[in-house]
Amino acid sequence: MSLAAYVARRLLLMVPVVLGVTILVFFLIHLVPGDPARTMLGTHATPKRVQLLHEEWGLDEPLPVQYERFMGRLVRGDLGTSLFYSVSAGRLVVERLPVTLWLIGLGALFSVLIAVPLAVLAAARRDHPTDHAIRAVPLVGLGFPAFWIGIMLLLAFALNSGRLFPVGGYGEGFTGHLHSMILPALTVALGISPILIRSLRASLLEILESDYITTARSKGLTERRVMVRHALRNGLISMVSVLAVAIGFLVGGTLIVEQVFALPGIGQLMFNAILQRDFPVVQAVALVFAIMVVLVYLLADIAHAALDPRVRFD
Amino acid sequence: MRTRLAVAILVVAGVIAFMFGTLGASARSDETQAAQQKRGGTLRIARQEDSQSFDKTNVFQNESIWLIQQINESLYTVGRDGKTLAPWLATSYKVSHGGKKYTLKLRKGVRFSNGQPMTAADVKFSIDDARAQDKGWGYLDVAIKNIKAPNKSTVVFNLKYPWAPFLADLALFANGIIPKNFAGQKRAEFYKHPIGTGPFMWDKRVVGQTVTFKRNPYYWQKGKPYLDRVTWSYVSDQNTRELQLRGGQIDVNEFPPFASIKKLQNTSGVKMFLFPSTRTDYMGMNQAYAPLKDRHVRRAISYMIDRAAILKSILFGYGKVANSFMPPQVPYYDPNSPGIQYNPAKAKAEMAKSKYKNGFTVEMLVGAGATDENKVAQVLQQALKQIKINVKFRQVDTSTEFSQIQEGKYQLGFSYWTMDIADPDELVTFAVDPKGGGANSFFTGYKNPKVIALTKQAQRERNPAKRRSLYAQIQRLAAGDAFMAFLFYSPFRYATTDKVNGFYVTPLGNYHLEDVWLS
Repeated sequence: MSLAAYVARRLLLMVPVVLGVTILVFFLIHLVPGDPARTMLGTHATPKRVQLLHEEWGLDEPLPVQYERFMGRLVRGDLGTSLFYSVSAGRLVVERLPVTLWLIGLGALFSVLIAVPLAVLAAARRDHPTDHAIRAVPLVGLGFPAFWIGIMLLLAFALNSGRLFPVGGYGEGFTGHLHSMILPALTVALGISPILIRSLRASLLEILESDYITTARSKGLTERRVMVRHALRNGLISMVSVLAVAIGFLVGGTLIVEQVFALPGIGQLMFNAILQRDFPVVQAVALVFAIMVVLVYLLADIAHAALDPRVRFD
Repeated sequence: MRTRLAVAILVVAGVIAFMFGTLGASARSDETQAAQQKRGGTLRIARQEDSQSFDKTNVFQNESIWLIQQINESLYTVGRDGKTLAPWLATSYKVSHGGKKYTLKLRKGVRFSNGQPMTAADVKFSIDDARAQDKGWGYLDVAIKNIKAPNKSTVVFNLKYPWAPFLADLALFANGIIPKNFAGQKRAEFYKHPIGTGPFMWDKRVVGQTVTFKRNPYYWQKGKPYLDRVTWSYVSDQNTRELQLRGGQIDVNEFPPFASIKKLQNTSGVKMFLFPSTRTDYMGMNQAYAPLKDRHVRRAISYMIDRAAILKSILFGYGKVANSFMPPQVPYYDPNSPGIQYNPAKAKAEMAKSKYKNGFTVEMLVGAGATDENKVAQVLQQALKQIKINVKFRQVDTSTEFSQIQEGKYQLGFSYWTMDIADPDELVTFAVDPKGGGANSFFTGYKNPKVIALTKQAQRERNPAKRRSLYAQIQRLAAGDAFMAFLFYSPFRYATTDKVNGFYVTPLGNYHLEDVWLS
């Protein structure tokens, strides 16, 4: 099967997955206790005002009718109107999506930039103190919560040490975004890279003991060339899968980092929408999350095939 | 920018391993500049919530209301003490026909931010529109029979009956003045970027991020506002807001936690303000649950609450023990109201008089993640054990908590109240008149016919001395019935950089940014 046919088939398979997510999210968010009208009216929520808002939003209709309307709008590309902001839920998601994509993309890049050299170094110096240090120190990133790491990075690089970065915010323009995103992305990377380092190191150690590596060494290749040209490429195959899973989790898990760094991403949008019971926004974000996760796994499979010639699209 | 970015990346790479050792004291200069009113600059305020809507007539969220007030002004405004009213877009009023007719003279030379002069026709349109909003604040204007605009500078309000809170109701933000017929726009479109007579006018909004207003060039107070712009940014994390303030990235930090107050008071370059507020925190006791219908049980619970200890341990002493459901910054608050205070002996005596001498189990609704509330809940659980009341917690997310209290699906539950007008009527009706306020007496089911009758009497009593007496009786009776356990009054907390001058918050929570300037 060609790459194009494979991608087309996977995209087609995405439809039932996304549809399933919309059904699940729609009924779950409507079944949990809490009422957007009461949240919005606060202590002024008299039964009459609550009823008027329910009628305005169509929440007085039975759930299946509400779902039918939601799907009717969805097929026309309309994700509904935010109950809280009274603007298009789709517009809210589209405005916030770049922030989260920046965070995930730069975070993934940083995690690879941190993990690959460290894993190579650890594998090359197996059981040496350097190896132990590389295996132990990054666990700080895994052991400490993201909000703590984020605040420490802010204290260190945004408040003290010459105020190199802004204390949160998204900045303006490409360089502004990049400048604002370095510390959040680093926070994300410090969480992911320990897993990548361990995975890549284990894989490299296994590869370094294989016959073809012995052959390469016997041909008189330098250790560096053996590592980079022969071991690393195969080692990266397993890391791509681990990275894809980590990014998959990140898609829905950027909330804490977004909050600490005051980033207006979709994680924060989803969190607030759930608290406010802003049903259309919850549904819109869940839909985007589902699509993103499926796409990340698709890209990982394509990358896997590109790195490993034995893999065929079928 | 790029050079700076490259340097930044290099430095991060170099010192990442030592990042936790670099936490030193802020290098901020502690110099304070001489106080001089200066024009220009942008005031940057970071707040905990984003604004929901700018439709002043239908929004109940403070984070929207406090912004709207910079654009839409009312005929009267609330004084700094939160109890008095001062002429604003009106200059004077005359009452006639036994308190059923108010004739107001409008301030001359007032223009909207589009340059259009404000006239009586705009006032009539604005308040007619506000009182027509059934799902909004229209209920506060219920006493108005009709509004006339006999000439450009005179407005006449004919009331259905004498209504003591009338001027305070006129000062409500929902009764702010907008151009007639929404300046030719559709209602919904107008409120996306409203026009008013206030010191600032609409500039731009990025939903979920920032709202920016700019100076209204036609503002009627000569020389004001001093600021060019005000930007409110949404920064949900309280630690980040604090760091942004210390880093000079914002000028005003809204609601730093109580635990940070002392630290901020001792931070150079930062001013920490504690403004008296109308916030009263309380624990509701739902009388739909049989034991809580027993007055002796409610009194016993109230006697067991060591409010002073709660204040000290949870609010770090920044507040005041509550003695009434009305806070001190509300007119006719009675400092001598004998609100039930901590007294375990009296609590036991009350329990002995109740139908539940052997105690009972009660469920307490607690917001998951609401740290202070959880601490208060634990203190109360231990205290009530001493009078054989077994408290079980039911933790739900704060949104569910809010809804379930309002729906009466709780037994004990926490909430709070802040005032919107400088008159006790809004609060008192809501709190003790189950039908009049439409909220079943703060969602407790409390119903004391005598208190209800006094509330209705106070609404129509125009003699201040008599009103004071009526509200004193209401506070005394309600406290005695222990329909809710009021806990404490707490201040509004704002931290600013020392560059910010003239910033103050009234007990109602609103601020007059036309007086603010940056040094």
